[in-house]
Amino acid sequence: MRAEIAVLDLQLRRRALLSYVAGMALYALVIVALYPQFKGATSLDQLTKNGSPIAALFGATGSLTSPSGWLDANIYENFLPLIMLLITVGYGASCIAGQDEDGTLSLVTILPMSRRAVVLQKVGALTVQALLLAIATMGCVLIGRQFDLSFPIAHLAGLSLGVALLGVDFGLCALAVGSITGSRGAALGFTAPVIAWIRPARYVSLFYWSVGNQQLANGLSLASVGVLISVGALLTLTAVAGFRRLDLH
Amino acid sequence: MTVVVSAENLTKTFGTHRGIVGVDVSVAEGDIFGFLGPNGSGKSTTIRLLTGLSHPTSGTAKVFGLDPIADAVEIHRRVGYLPGELALHPRLTGRQHVDFAAKVRGVQDRTFLDELVDRFQVDLERPTRTLSKGNRQKIGILLAVMHRPELVILDEPTSGLDPLMQDEFEHLMRELVSTGATVFLSSHELDEVQRVATRVAIIKDGHLVVTDTVEALRRRAPRTIEFSFPETADPKPFASIEGVRVVAADGKRITLALLGAVAPVLRVAAELDPLDVVARPADLDELFLTYYRDQSVEKPVDAR
Repeated sequence: MRAEIAVLDLQLRRRALLSYVAGMALYALVIVALYPQFKGATSLDQLTKNGSPIAALFGATGSLTSPSGWLDANIYENFLPLIMLLITVGYGASCIAGQDEDGTLSLVTILPMSRRAVVLQKVGALTVQALLLAIATMGCVLIGRQFDLSFPIAHLAGLSLGVALLGVDFGLCALAVGSITGSRGAALGFTAPVIAWIRPARYVSLFYWSVGNQQLANGLSLASVGVLISVGALLTLTAVAGFRRLDLH
Repeated sequence: MTVVVSAENLTKTFGTHRGIVGVDVSVAEGDIFGFLGPNGSGKSTTIRLLTGLSHPTSGTAKVFGLDPIADAVEIHRRVGYLPGELALHPRLTGRQHVDFAAKVRGVQDRTFLDELVDRFQVDLERPTRTLSKGNRQKIGILLAVMHRPELVILDEPTSGLDPLMQDEFEHLMRELVSTGATVFLSSHELDEVQRVATRVAIIKDGHLVVTDTVEALRRRAPRTIEFSFPETADPKPFASIEGVRVVAADGKRITLALLGAVAPVLRVAAELDPLDVVARPADLDELFLTYYRDQSVEKPVDAR
């Protein structure tokens, strides 16, 4: 499969992407390094007991002082998804609609490549960005095993995949809206409220299937992977159909 | 005659806004086809329909007999396109742009590309944001012709180029045509088009107002005659002659635009004892400006 457009887009976003990844990795390192000081402070668990408002604020669903609770509350249920969505939704809105608005998309669309292939390469670039952030964060969290953070590596890998798929799906949502409307503003303006609306929901929420169901303690279920990939596939088909009909500059 | 580009009743509207209406175009293989019109007349809209970037509201377009939307990949393989408002990635260098396009197009032999870089003195090493408009335009020209396309579609190609480079670009167009290519040249620069084009279409307010060969247009174009008289002269006798339009009457000086025989004009002028007469050959500019200015849209004329 060809990847010239994906490589070009990654090259264009290299600086911003590396800054986000480096910042997130540094933050993750600080969090895992702080764990030994908090693991004995069981009074913290009272804060998140019985789904308290504090638990909701942190996005925590279990004990704050357990390894999985610490990582969920400080990284995987809030900060990492936030950074992930900044990267993927930003790219999703700009890679078709944004580039068409600034005129650079015509450098690609006049080449002998179908619109479907263009979208698929953009999806590829989106996936690479999400995986890069998730893997870099996972690498730093793994260092936490030196700081008394014990958890199954397979569960961490599953959670990392989950958060990457979460990012890809919302990035695809922005990409699809941008492909239909040709407007970066519409892509962002539609996706951001959807994220806010869907986040607290349970079974209809991509957050629940990716990071919101104690995946670090229990592992990422196959059902979750199935839901996240199915939503991504549906959004990709929508983006291809929209882009085929879009009038370009 | 092999038709490379054709459009029949091609129409594009944007909501309630006019784009182009009922455009009929036919471009033969080996032509340099000049597509003229003032800003906002519909030139770029037509080009986007021909290149499959935009979908027609109604009517049909064909390039190499193929549908620009359904067969976009095959058409794009054989077409080079320079957009009217070329946008390059500001942080990338010209070389990165060219390498990217060459890779996707599978351009292995870079001899022609290197030759163009030399001829147009293209700076490929600096980020494009640091380049002048003219130097960015040169990169656009490379991207449009580096793969030796069978059809080159150029939208305002010499915008920003200095006169020397404009001249070089005209040579390039003629060379491309001599090797079998066809050129679709959109411009609002009358001089540029009449120097290189074999056929011309004029579009105004989204409607095609004329399509003809440059030679036929030249035959229909008015000649200009300017008389100087010893006394203030009345232009009315000239205005009543068929095929004569009084362009300017400034007391002792009268300027006429003439279509047809010159004898009736000379007879009228002789009675006024002219001091001097200057005649200029057929002026396409005057003809084009007539089409540009004319508020009514004439029925399209096609000599072919």
